[in-house]
Amino acid sequence: MLEARNLRKSFGKLVATDDVDVEFGREPGEMVFIVGPNGAGKTTLVNLLTGLLEPDDGSVVLRRTDDDGEETTVDITDMAPEDRVKAGVVRSFQVVHVFEEMTVRENMRTAVLAEQDLLGSAFSFSDEHEGVEAIVDDLLERFRLDDQQHVVADKLPHGDRKLLDVAMSFGLDPDVLLLDEPTSGVSAQETDYVMETIVNVSKAEGVTTVAIEHDMDIVSTHADRVIALHQGSVLGEGGPSILETDDELRRVLLGVSG
Amino acid sequence: MSEDEATEETEATDATRRSLEDWGRASYVPATRTQDGDRYLRVTRGMVLTPLRLVGWLALFVLFVAIPDIASLSPGIQQRVLHQGVLFGLAAVGLNVLLRHTKLVSFGHAAFFGTGAYTAAVLATHFDVTSMVLLLAAATLLGTLMAGVIGFLSLRHTGLYFSLLTLAFGQLLYAIANGQSVLGGSDGLSVRPGEANRATLFGAEFGADVYSVVVYYLTVLVVVVALFVMWRIVNSPFGKALDAIGQDRTRAQFIGIPVRKYVLAAFVLSGVYGGVAGGMYGLVQQHVRPESTLYFLRSGEILFMAILGGFGTLVGPLVGGVVLVFLQDVGRDFTSYFDALTGVVLILLVFGFPRGIVGSLQSGSGLRQRASAFVDDPTVVGDWVENAVVATTAALARAKQNLWILVFGVR
Repeated sequence: MLEARNLRKSFGKLVATDDVDVEFGREPGEMVFIVGPNGAGKTTLVNLLTGLLEPDDGSVVLRRTDDDGEETTVDITDMAPEDRVKAGVVRSFQVVHVFEEMTVRENMRTAVLAEQDLLGSAFSFSDEHEGVEAIVDDLLERFRLDDQQHVVADKLPHGDRKLLDVAMSFGLDPDVLLLDEPTSGVSAQETDYVMETIVNVSKAEGVTTVAIEHDMDIVSTHADRVIALHQGSVLGEGGPSILETDDELRRVLLGVSG
Repeated sequence: MSEDEATEETEATDATRRSLEDWGRASYVPATRTQDGDRYLRVTRGMVLTPLRLVGWLALFVLFVAIPDIASLSPGIQQRVLHQGVLFGLAAVGLNVLLRHTKLVSFGHAAFFGTGAYTAAVLATHFDVTSMVLLLAAATLLGTLMAGVIGFLSLRHTGLYFSLLTLAFGQLLYAIANGQSVLGGSDGLSVRPGEANRATLFGAEFGADVYSVVVYYLTVLVVVVALFVMWRIVNSPFGKALDAIGQDRTRAQFIGIPVRKYVLAAFVLSGVYGGVAGGMYGLVQQHVRPESTLYFLRSGEILFMAILGGFGTLVGPLVGGVVLVFLQDVGRDFTSYFDALTGVVLILLVFGFPRGIVGSLQSGSGLRQRASAFVDDPTVVGDWVENAVVATTAALARAKQNLWILVFGVR
């Protein structure tokens, strides 16, 4: 479980996140959507959680329950982004970040090699690790990228690039996966497919997935829980039904009054 | 080799790509065919050769080994010059780790070459070390350490500032070598004082003629090992990590790569190659001067060699080194403006063959496509000429029009 405790960050006079106190992963495979108008502090929150930004105040905590039911708490506030990835906190960006000159398969392989702590190996061939190749095959199949595995990433259609980006994140074996607008720039036809794939894999793997999303149809279809941000603070939190019932939330999000 | 393979994978049909990939995993198969029926030889994992490529490699290797014999054929070709080219090319192979994989441009690579060369000279002159192996080992070690220090300080930045820092550190070393009398100042330092007193190999002493041949074949050995090691590294997970860093630094960090640590390792690796090449240079020239080893123009040349030979390839920088040094030497005989020749080569290269010499010979390059089009149908030359004439006429017409506007203004 990933927790933000009183996270605060300002840029000059602008308070981007103001004492945000949220937690993700109350049950395994929880699907949480962060919603809110532009400038609400959604991306800032994700950046703080993943180490791209340092908070002015507050902390980020990772809580785990092991097989014996014993709970361990790790404060990851001062941890470098790459170490947070190792600790199980993985993210994607609003813009697709894949390795453009590598094929789909090489992209996946690089992520899985990273997860297996094999990237430091200088005297093995990158494709000779059988275990890694098996995981790569499995993920490519689940994300239905196997037909395109030898296509260079920058030649892929946008929806598939987005999928590859997310697939690589799953290849890192995350506990918590934070996705910054997984459907941005994806065509209307591809949106459902991309989102369904993400939800299916996270449920199957028990990965807590946190997604920033503007499309309320997607949110109400897939959310286990919705967190609404406004002007840096949590405006509302609850099941997807709050999008229908909470009047203030509707006013802020949709400009609907009453 | 695998980098050729990678280029080819993007161009080839799906069937070919699939079968190449499969062989990467299959157990040893001496000779086989793709689904297209082309014959391939799978030498080892990661190395699939077509007959044409095999011939190319063998020819290159024979040429490389036979350089002393080739040089003895004509007084216009000097072994010492080609040997120098090989050594600067080896440094360029090291530089290429940064250029090709992490996509960093270092303008100070002569620093490691110079450190290696000066290490050999200082040990030989001031400490009476005579063993070639010892001199080389020390040169490599010092070059590596220097790369560690300069890399640690330069890699706090990326892009232009990184390039400028490497340039600055390189010039700092040049200034030190130039000013220190213990290093011989601008006159430099002899690697063994006196012609009669050469470095030895396992205790054996050599006369002048034999010495140059022995050192050359020692270089061949070093280069073959160095290329093999580099080939293994660029095809290893670590090589892929460097590619990842070069292609998307942010993503690399967010798949858990400690980016700065890895880039420093790549920088040090490139320093190893600079150091060993510099040490060999000291053994060959038996005299080391700041101008020829540490000056920033040397760094620029090493960079140029990598681009000239093809920085997208493994051996390109080596070929680039030999070609550039040879061209400069020949140019010197013809004209006092031989530096202009380098400029002309660079311009031709950027406009005509941006993938460099070796890169242009690889499959998928413009040159190869034209060549195969020509083999299919030689009359295609007519079309090329026609296209060229049309393009030139259009360009001239535009130039005339622009000139007209410049002189008479727009009506």
